[in-house]
Amino acid sequence: MGKNGTRRIEAGGKGPLIGAGPDPPSEPGLNHSTGRSPEGQAGAGLAVKSENRKILVVGKEAGFSEAVMDYAVNLAERLGYDLITMVVGPEAAPGGMFNSPYRRYLQEKFKKQAKAAARLIEPRVRQKGLGFEHLVRFGDLGRAVETLNHEKRRIEFVINASEMSEAEMAGGVTLPVFTIKGDQGERLMAHEPKRNYNLAAKTAGLGLATAALYAAVFLNTGTVMKYFTLGGWYAALPIATVFIFSFVHGAFSHHVWEVLGIQAPKKAVQPRPAAAKRPAKRQRPRPRLRLNV
Amino acid sequence: MTDVAHEVVQFIDLNATAVMFLFIVGFIGGLVSGFIGSGGAFVLTPGMMSLGVPGAVAVASNMCHKFPKALVGAYKRYKYGQVDLKLGLVMAASAGVGVQVGIKIQEYILNRWGQAGSNLYVSVSFVVILVVVGGYVFYDAWKIARSGGGEQVSKLALWLQQIKLPPMVHFKTANVTISLWFTIPIGFATGMLAATIAVGGFIGVPGMIYVIGASGLVSSATELVIAFVMGFGGSVKWAVTGMIDIRLTLIILAGSLLGVQLGAIGTTYVKEHMIKIVMGTIMLIVAVSRGLAIPKYLVNLNVITMPQNTIDLLMTASFVSMCIALGVGSAIILGAMWRAKRAETKKAMELAVEEA
Repeated sequence: MGKNGTRRIEAGGKGPLIGAGPDPPSEPGLNHSTGRSPEGQAGAGLAVKSENRKILVVGKEAGFSEAVMDYAVNLAERLGYDLITMVVGPEAAPGGMFNSPYRRYLQEKFKKQAKAAARLIEPRVRQKGLGFEHLVRFGDLGRAVETLNHEKRRIEFVINASEMSEAEMAGGVTLPVFTIKGDQGERLMAHEPKRNYNLAAKTAGLGLATAALYAAVFLNTGTVMKYFTLGGWYAALPIATVFIFSFVHGAFSHHVWEVLGIQAPKKAVQPRPAAAKRPAKRQRPRPRLRLNV
Repeated sequence: MTDVAHEVVQFIDLNATAVMFLFIVGFIGGLVSGFIGSGGAFVLTPGMMSLGVPGAVAVASNMCHKFPKALVGAYKRYKYGQVDLKLGLVMAASAGVGVQVGIKIQEYILNRWGQAGSNLYVSVSFVVILVVVGGYVFYDAWKIARSGGGEQVSKLALWLQQIKLPPMVHFKTANVTISLWFTIPIGFATGMLAATIAVGGFIGVPGMIYVIGASGLVSSATELVIAFVMGFGGSVKWAVTGMIDIRLTLIILAGSLLGVQLGAIGTTYVKEHMIKIVMGTIMLIVAVSRGLAIPKYLVNLNVITMPQNTIDLLMTASFVSMCIALGVGSAIILGAMWRAKRAETKKAMELAVEEA
């Protein structure tokens, strides 16, 4: 990545992000005038007890992608800032009976994964001589950022590695937020498979269709049984019915198992010779940075 | 068959127990047939009859659920690359002829020795075929499991494949080139058995494995194609006579479409010889079940005498052991799937730890 990192910053065509936020990340040179001291030189020429400036990297998954971390570490190095990474897991239920052991278990798992990820990141940051801190929070991402902003001083800006939209994110956050797009790189750790809401919706739709079909038959058993057992050309009725049911209910049950995570392992699915296609070229766009205030 | 149609057929009233029974047996039957290519029918037909469904309606409704189930299962396993469509269609065509011959034999026996004679013929064929074929399948599976090796093409199949008797046919997915003349009898026998005991797969799958030389995976998947074609033909025939109770069919279908998909997925998890183990086990238990029913028919034919309550007890034991056959089969499938899945997860975890 190296020095050309700044070229990837997009801010309405203005090039490097200067003056866009309340206290924007600026060119490394500019920082010297603010009297920021590098680590270990606290209080050099400032009345305020100097605390190093920080970049906060936030994400909603336990790990960060390689691309995001490369970018953040390089940026922090150039600016001489410290780095705080914060991962924000899904909200725990408000407590009481809903705070089930399973939820707690999930949170523990998330914490463990996050710690494992942090162990991978930390040596890199330390190697560059930067301060590093890793935090795990649960709940709303924006709120977590804002709370942290009050706890920690001199967080200069936020790099948002989550898939949260900028609008959502910016809602309660008073810091400039930069969103990293196109981080298709490998995660620094295995992450939990994401729940596919599209699939769930499809399954629910097919489930409703199936239920409607069954209802249509069983609420009109009298009529159905009268015509379906007439024989002769009426034979087409039961045959057509089972075909329709097998398509709709068959597709539904296929999705049911998929939603439950029961599906054939990829290796077992031998591609048919005719269908053997060249694998699609994988898109790996470079990470880009976008400002929204 | 057709004369039944002219009688007034009593369709039963459904209650919650009956619905649950049909749904669950449908699911388990689907699971087994998705895995080994056939199964379920041998419990469903007598099961429905014990609910008070007339025999013809039970057979018709069962058959009408069989072909859509086979369709869904075959489609899924086709996507896994396990179905040899050509082999399936060749087998199905010859099985169609086999069914007609099987029905003729049945009719002849029915006219000559009456209902009890027909039942005895069915039961004896069941026991003999299932013990011989099922025993061999089980023995083969046990041999593979013990040696820990993969499946081997049987010597018989290799020998038959060498005989270049035109027309030679190449089956791509099964990866077999064999004379059509050896394929047809297997299909024919499958059809005959289907007409006799309603489960053609018990001869079709072992036939494809040991005579034609396809793998267990391909054979059981291809059997679903045969089951679809034959089930469809049979269902149309029954529907024309108005014998299908669509309510029963749909309830069974509700369970079996879920089951057949799970069974099909199951084949991708487990080792190949598991198909043989499940198949052999089910066949042997069903053989025991049918064996228990033989004394009743012998009594009916006045060959032996036996007190009525003993006969009743034997018939109950026979039905229960059929259910056990399905239950054991599905337990083996689910157990094997669960173990495979767990091993896979463990491996993935280890990999993740190594990478970290």
